Amino acid sequence: MPVKWLMHWQPHAGATVSSQILAEVCQCVEGFGGATKEGRWRTTLTFYRPMARDPSSNAATGSNPGDLPRDFLGLALHDRPDAYFFILRHNRLILQAEANVQLLMDKLQSYKARVVLHFEGFQYRLGDFQLRVGKCVPSMAETLRGIMMEVEYLPLSSIEKSRQIMENFFDIWQETLAKKSLPGRFIIDDPNLNFMDYGLHDQYTPQHTALQYATCIAQLMAAVRS
Amino acid sequence: MLQPQQAISAAAAATQAQDPPESGWESATEAPPKQVALAMERLGRAARVIADIRLGADRLLEALLLAADSPQQSTSKTIELIRKEETAMRQHSDDLRALGKQLEDSGVLSGSLKSRGNSWGLHMPLVCPDGAVVAYAWKRQLAGQAGASAVDRTRLALKAFTDQKRRFFPHLEDEVSSDGELGIAKKHFKAQGSVISQREEFREKKSLFDILKDLEHQFPNVRIFTYQRLDWSKRASLLSSANENLIDPLKDQINHASNTRSGSVNIAPADQTAVIELLVPSIFRSVVSLHPAGSINPDAVAFFATDEGGNYIHARGLSVHHVFRHVTEHADKALQYFLSVDNSLSLSLLLHWICSHETLFSKPCSKCGRLLTMDKSLALLLPPVHRAYWEASATNSTQTESTRSTKATHPDNIAAYHIGCSAKMS
Repeated sequence: MPVKWLMHWQPHAGATVSSQILAEVCQCVEGFGGATKEGRWRTTLTFYRPMARDPSSNAATGSNPGDLPRDFLGLALHDRPDAYFFILRHNRLILQAEANVQLLMDKLQSYKARVVLHFEGFQYRLGDFQLRVGKCVPSMAETLRGIMMEVEYLPLSSIEKSRQIMENFFDIWQETLAKKSLPGRFIIDDPNLNFMDYGLHDQYTPQHTALQYATCIAQLMAAVRS
Repeated sequence: MLQPQQAISAAAAATQAQDPPESGWESATEAPPKQVALAMERLGRAARVIADIRLGADRLLEALLLAADSPQQSTSKTIELIRKEETAMRQHSDDLRALGKQLEDSGVLSGSLKSRGNSWGLHMPLVCPDGAVVAYAWKRQLAGQAGASAVDRTRLALKAFTDQKRRFFPHLEDEVSSDGELGIAKKHFKAQGSVISQREEFREKKSLFDILKDLEHQFPNVRIFTYQRLDWSKRASLLSSANENLIDPLKDQINHASNTRSGSVNIAPADQTAVIELLVPSIFRSVVSLHPAGSINPDAVAFFATDEGGNYIHARGLSVHHVFRHVTEHADKALQYFLSVDNSLSLSLLLHWICSHETLFSKPCSKCGRLLTMDKSLALLLPPVHRAYWEASATNSTQTESTRSTKATHPDNIAAYHIGCSAKMS
């Protein structure tokens, strides 16, 4: 599977993220070499919260709500519509399941979707690179929470071997964007450290993408808060 | 230059006269055996025209060399020669074009006749994408002999089959006797190898096995596999299904290799090797075709991503990725250069040059110092895809720094350039 790197938009101190910035970024991509627009994409990230059970039964069995994992994420990736990914950040676990597991969760009612976020936008093709510019919006609202980009290099599947190419691409992209003088910049979070912790290897897989989204949302939220 | 134009019109008139009677009797009115016979005959003619074109090209080159060597003498003679060859070549090219069109229409090049309903169980001869011809015509013998006994039918089929084989694969003639017995082939090859090494000391005419062993030492990261021609087609189509578990097919190869007697490098017996695969894990896969099989004469090369799989993965195929397409294009030029410089060393030079691409995604351009740049004319982001080949053979005789083989250039010494950067060099 081709290697993919995610980056998120970090606004400068005091600046906010807006749809104007998103439009400017898209414009920049469209003028970048021979980039052609290919279509739309959407990835959905869900924060799950454990459902509080009947308190009496809890007391009887001695289990407490603290046993149930917090920080439980679910991801539906745009390039894997038949799969659904679960991440437990605290325990460093990642799991791939079939897409209809969501129906199962609805029936079981053991977890409730606390927050649902959509990453969506346009997809562009630039030679051997595939670029996706996306905004992060909550499912029920229209407020823009953040901007991010996916960069995919099709000929390579090894993270290590593609590192230099991706770093170079990032530099070229930064240079191109700098001409627009936008109040902020894109940042790649170095994903390599994370992958090993979760038991993922050098060969790129959808699990890697899921993990990058999880990291991305954490960073986006941190950026918004500060 | 009136003569060439007259020649063209003459050639066109000739093919025109040739065409109508043929096309009038096309496949719609003919029974399958006649179609198959026509197809086989056309393939034979095509082979002959191709041979004529090759000879004509040789003659043209000869005439040019003659003109270059002795510019004063006999210029008019060389001009006459060249003009004659030119008209002959045009005629051949037109013939070939017409034949090609007929073959295409009758479904030989695409194998489409197989899927048609009423074909009496006969198959058209199939020309594989990489040029190998698979003749199925022996089946027509069976259809005609429906009443004969099983033994007779088998005998006739075998006779027809060996006839076809002798006709289309003449270089496989001698292996008929030792068919299936790899041990004999190996002994034969080894004896041959030792005789050659005794005879030639200074000018080591290396065997395929030696070249590959040498390569293995120089480039430990590159995996080398050899195949017979049809075996490679099978492997190519397996590649796409093996994408999920990259380790398995390689493991199979290694197991297979350890079972064969000649060591870790070869899988196919050296005298039947027609395809060499060089794999640098996670970087690229390169396919080199040898012609004839078992020789050290490369005739095509192509590069692909390690993830790619499918029937188009062969020495004359093109990758879906831009970066590998450009590398392949450049490799064609390098191959022609190596062949022109020294025919006996060309395979060794080519393979070393291919292996230098293991730094394709890490070595910056020797001119601009960057790895990835936007190529203005192509509007693509590419790493340096052009690797210098013109220096490779020049360093053979003057190599003093390298402590390994004196015949090879160390990969670090081979310069890499972006497409735009190399255009400004040399």
